Amino acid sequence: MLKLQALSFVRYSKSVLSNITTVISEGALTCLVGANGAGKTTLLRVLSGELRATSGALLIDDNDVSGVSPKEVAHYFSVIPQGVQPSPYFTVFELVALGRFRPRNRALRWRLSDSDRQIVETCLSQCGVEQLSNRRVEELSGGEQKRVWLAFALAQEKRFLLLDETLDGLDVFAKQSFFKLLKQLASEGKGVLLTTHDLELVTQFADKVVVLSGGSVSYDGLPNTDLQNLLCQTSG
Amino acid sequence: MRRVLLITGVLVIILVLGVLIGIALGPVKISLHELVSALLMRGDSTAHILVWDLRMPRVAAALLVGACLGVAGCLLQSSTRNPLGDPQVFGLGGGAAVVQALAMAGLLSVGTWGLLALSVLASLIGAGAIALFASRQGLSPARLAIIGVSLAALAAAAATGILAGARVFSQQSLNFVGGSFINRGWQDVLPALPFLGIGILLAIPVIGNLNVLALGDRIADNLGAEPRRTRVIAIASSGILGGTAVAVAGLVGFVGLLVPHLARLLVGRDMRAIFIVSIPLGAAVTLFADQAARLAFMPSEVPAGLITALVGAPLMIYVARRVL
Repeated sequence: MLKLQALSFVRYSKSVLSNITTVISEGALTCLVGANGAGKTTLLRVLSGELRATSGALLIDDNDVSGVSPKEVAHYFSVIPQGVQPSPYFTVFELVALGRFRPRNRALRWRLSDSDRQIVETCLSQCGVEQLSNRRVEELSGGEQKRVWLAFALAQEKRFLLLDETLDGLDVFAKQSFFKLLKQLASEGKGVLLTTHDLELVTQFADKVVVLSGGSVSYDGLPNTDLQNLLCQTSG
Repeated sequence: MRRVLLITGVLVIILVLGVLIGIALGPVKISLHELVSALLMRGDSTAHILVWDLRMPRVAAALLVGACLGVAGCLLQSSTRNPLGDPQVFGLGGGAAVVQALAMAGLLSVGTWGLLALSVLASLIGAGAIALFASRQGLSPARLAIIGVSLAALAAAAATGILAGARVFSQQSLNFVGGSFINRGWQDVLPALPFLGIGILLAIPVIGNLNVLALGDRIADNLGAEPRRTRVIAIASSGILGGTAVAVAGLVGFVGLLVPHLARLLVGRDMRAIFIVSIPLGAAVTLFADQAARLAFMPSEVPAGLITALVGAPLMIYVARRVL
């Protein structure tokens, strides 16, 4: 369980996030929605330890981790940044295998261990891309690429997945099946946090919605509400 | 891994062949018998001097410079995520070129060791500039390349200006600007060896990180690959290697650009494999280029850099069209 308590972030003396309090649980698909510039990406970066909150607390299992090093916080989260591009030349398998990268065995240690290989294969099949494993990532369709990135994030075996507008640019069917996949992963115990603009699918699939507007939470609860209307009102 | 060993093995055999060509052939003919006895430290003094004091150091210089450039290019390309990464293209060798030009013009006399150290230092300054720009978020590979090319042009202009101003004998400056191994002796090669060692050893701990760096700084950060530290170390290492190469042979172009791409064609995407293969591959490319430069127009010769460009340019165009 990940608790955010009165989390604030100030950049260049301008408040980007103010007083964010919410809970992100494992085993649930939480969607973070809000207009562009509402602070969704910044919130994800604060969670993943990339940015340090100016004030407030970040609790994982009731332990305050806002004081520990960003590196340690990152142990809990795998991140797929917005607009991530696969580096050319990687095959699907190679990319997902990089998810098993650990700083300590980075030097010239060669072979993927058997258990690591097992994990990579499991993640590939969980995301339905096992038959693509020898293809080059940049040759795949947008939807397939997103699934490969998801497999990469899963292979890190962290407790929370932070996905930043990962569904951007997909057609409606691909989005739908991606949401189903996320829901499936959540039901298997991952804490999934997705920022998105697809309100209909959020209503259909999310376990919980957090609406950000102007850097603070304007709604936090079940998706059975008129999100469209809510967003229009709060973003003025 | 097996593939890497196999390819490294083949390259080593090719290298041995190149070394044999380098010491056996030349404007002055020596018989096989003379060659063998010279190698075994026996026989008459002419062949001995020819093999050990004239041809061998030149071969060693080509091997050393090739290894330096291959590794430097591989580190630069991966750490800046830029397929154009090359110590010459990015201007890393530029500082070293200016130092060498000053020395050739007689404006700087600090001895072999001092000159080498100064070259490496100057090239580290260029590396610092590139590292600074490369670490700026959102600086596209194209813009980084533009900055690098500009730095390189600036340095080349300064070096040429110094040489021209000092009226350095034109053959000598042509050899420097073109990149050449003519008249290299042990006194040029041996002091450079430790720098090759330092450059490679410095890079080894971050090679694995470079694989992850390809996915972008945010993901690398999230995986604990310390993108900023990794990039600084990789660029510093290629600065040391690039400066060393310029100090030994002048501006040998294309090797640093071409070798990592060829290595990737041979062994795939893993940076650890590319790094290892770049060492013998760079050495082989440079050694054979120097043999062509030396033997094709006997008894006169052309700068080896002309051959690397002559062979490298079409190869690079092929690589760019096929796999880049």
